[in-house]
Amino acid sequence: MTLFLHTYQFFTQHPGTIWRHTLQQLYLVAIPLAAAILVAVPLTMLATRVRQLYGPVMGFANAMQTIPSLALLALMIAIGLGIGVLPAVLALFLYALMPIVRNTYVGIMGVDPGVKDAARGMGVTSWQLLWMVELPLALHVIIAGIRSALVATIGFATLASLIGAGGLGSLIMEGMGLASNSIVLAGTIPAIVLAFLAEGLMGRVERVLTPRGLRA
Amino acid sequence: MTDGDTASSVATADAILEFRGVTKSFGGRAPAVRHFTLSVPRGQLVVLIGPSGCGKTTTLRMVNRLIEPTAGSIWLEGRDYKSYNPVDLRRRLGYVIQRIGLLPHLTIGDNIAFVLRLLGQPPQARRARASELLELVGLDPAEYLDRYPTELSGGQQQRIGVLRALAHDPDIILMDEPFGALDPLMREQLQEEFKRLLRTVSKTIVFVTHDMDEALSMADVIVLMKDGAIVQVAPPEEMLRHPADEFVASFMGRHRVLRQASEVLVADIMIASPVMTTTASGLARSLELMRRRRVNSLLVHDPAGHYVGVVRQSELQDHIEAGDQSPVGSLVDQTVETLAPSDSGLTAMHQLLSHEHVDSVPVLDADDRIVGLVTRGTLVGLLGDALRVAAGVQDIQLPEADSAPVGEVAR
Ligand SMILES: Nc1ncnc2c1ncn2[C@@H]1O[C@H](COP(=O)(O)OP(=O)(O)OP(=O)(O)O)[C@@H](O)[C@H]1O
Ligand SMILES: [Mg+2]
Repeated sequence: MTLFLHTYQFFTQHPGTIWRHTLQQLYLVAIPLAAAILVAVPLTMLATRVRQLYGPVMGFANAMQTIPSLALLALMIAIGLGIGVLPAVLALFLYALMPIVRNTYVGIMGVDPGVKDAARGMGVTSWQLLWMVELPLALHVIIAGIRSALVATIGFATLASLIGAGGLGSLIMEGMGLASNSIVLAGTIPAIVLAFLAEGLMGRVERVLTPRGLRA
Repeated sequence: MTDGDTASSVATADAILEFRGVTKSFGGRAPAVRHFTLSVPRGQLVVLIGPSGCGKTTTLRMVNRLIEPTAGSIWLEGRDYKSYNPVDLRRRLGYVIQRIGLLPHLTIGDNIAFVLRLLGQPPQARRARASELLELVGLDPAEYLDRYPTELSGGQQQRIGVLRALAHDPDIILMDEPFGALDPLMREQLQEEFKRLLRTVSKTIVFVTHDMDEALSMADVIVLMKDGAIVQVAPPEEMLRHPADEFVASFMGRHRVLRQASEVLVADIMIASPVMTTTASGLARSLELMRRRRVNSLLVHDPAGHYVGVVRQSELQDHIEAGDQSPVGSLVDQTVETLAPSDSGLTAMHQLLSHEHVDSVPVLDADDRIVGLVTRGTLVGLLGDALRVAAGVQDIQLPEADSAPVGEVAR
């Protein structure tokens, strides 16, 4: 009971600290995720046209996700990026690639061949096929991939403070260092809330972007 | 080149679409389409028909360059297909694919007007055109324009698939089993609808089907294919009468039977001297006549010789037992349908088979005089002959009148 009281006190006494760490956390998630989307989606789209590309792209993304997260962070230091925000963002970016690549590919390749055939028969260019048919029909699958990338990134971002990137993770570390459970909780609770909010938001986006004609 | 030889043989001036020795091979296997040469005159509906896998779809898709021929050439409006950019070419043609393939994320209106969008028409014009087309097939635009494909029945979806190929008013339309995947009733309804539609616009159509009913009802010319090659090209009537070989004959088999039934006249197959009596005849006398001639009903005419109706054995018997003294005229059933000698065998068949309780139909001349009778037995004879003919390769021979079952045992 006292734990909750202390935690509550920490929240009321240090709102600025918590807000600053939460904001850092948001950056740590948003920047790598945005970068991952901007790189993975077009690259994978290209891979659906140039099939030879898919193997290497997916292989790389897969490897990045298979490496244990801590090892990935350590690797950033090992390759000379040192510590701080930059190596953390890079690690998070690499980590987020796989679900997006996978879902973009599956989504586009999964579009009904009959529909694509009809579109081609009506005279779409390869580019129009992508924009007017494949992408709209694959969008909700791609969003689902981004959603899993987001959840993974939020979890991983908490670890990023290990290499000095700040965020809620550093609050948790600090609390652990001081053996203060209330500070640990002050970092943990916003992290959890953030994860659920993001998950809920993405779920909604996914529904909205599912074409009405495809909704059950 | 051997391909060139076949090609030069056709050079119809008004051909809008010409195949010249077109061959398509997929990999090392036997070619899917072989030396296909065909000239399609403007405004005609040509049906490609044949067993599954005979190359119908492949032939169609070479026209809009979804498949490139291995050899030979295709000429559209006097130009070699290679001179068209494939994308532009497809926007000029109408295409209904074998699977309906509506775009599920677009509304019905946007689906119908999809090519118009590719052609850069403004949204209002596209919407107006989509409405116009929906109305043409009896679908209320207010209700359907903004629906999505999954919210439509199969039949409605196929209609949209067809409308989509008409939106940009192409001169040539390629249709790959546009009414497949429909139950026979629905299919027939859509065929009728489509034929009505075609009367308002003149289109050249290449229509693929594997349903001979459909081919016979739609085609100006039927192209029968087998193993990638053309077996026969002929108008429906001619193909029925003069099948090129046994394959064609057997492919058309059932239809030739029906065709024969429709060509034979009632006058040729009816029993020419049915058992009759007059209205004034007594009941007992009539019953005795039936026994003697071994029939279970009599055709009744008035003293002037005009047909009145039919009287049945069971009824006569009941009334005799009840002591009824009235003449036969009072028991006559006047509701029986009748035929004219000039009606077709098919009409007779229809009348006999569609009413279960009817086992014979009187044949009357223009003055309502009885000239004959058609019974179920007559039809069995007719069908037997037709089946024998259909199984053979020779032309249909009309059975002689006396080869039809004639006799007093008819009832
Ligand atoms: N893309 C392809 N690759 C390899 N073989 C093909 C391809 N398309 C068609 N074929 C083969 O070519 C032949 C003709 O196929 P096609 O689709 O033209 O037949 P079809 O007459 O339309 O048949 P169905 O009535 O079943 O639609 C078949 O043996 C088929 O397996
Ligand atoms: Mg086919």
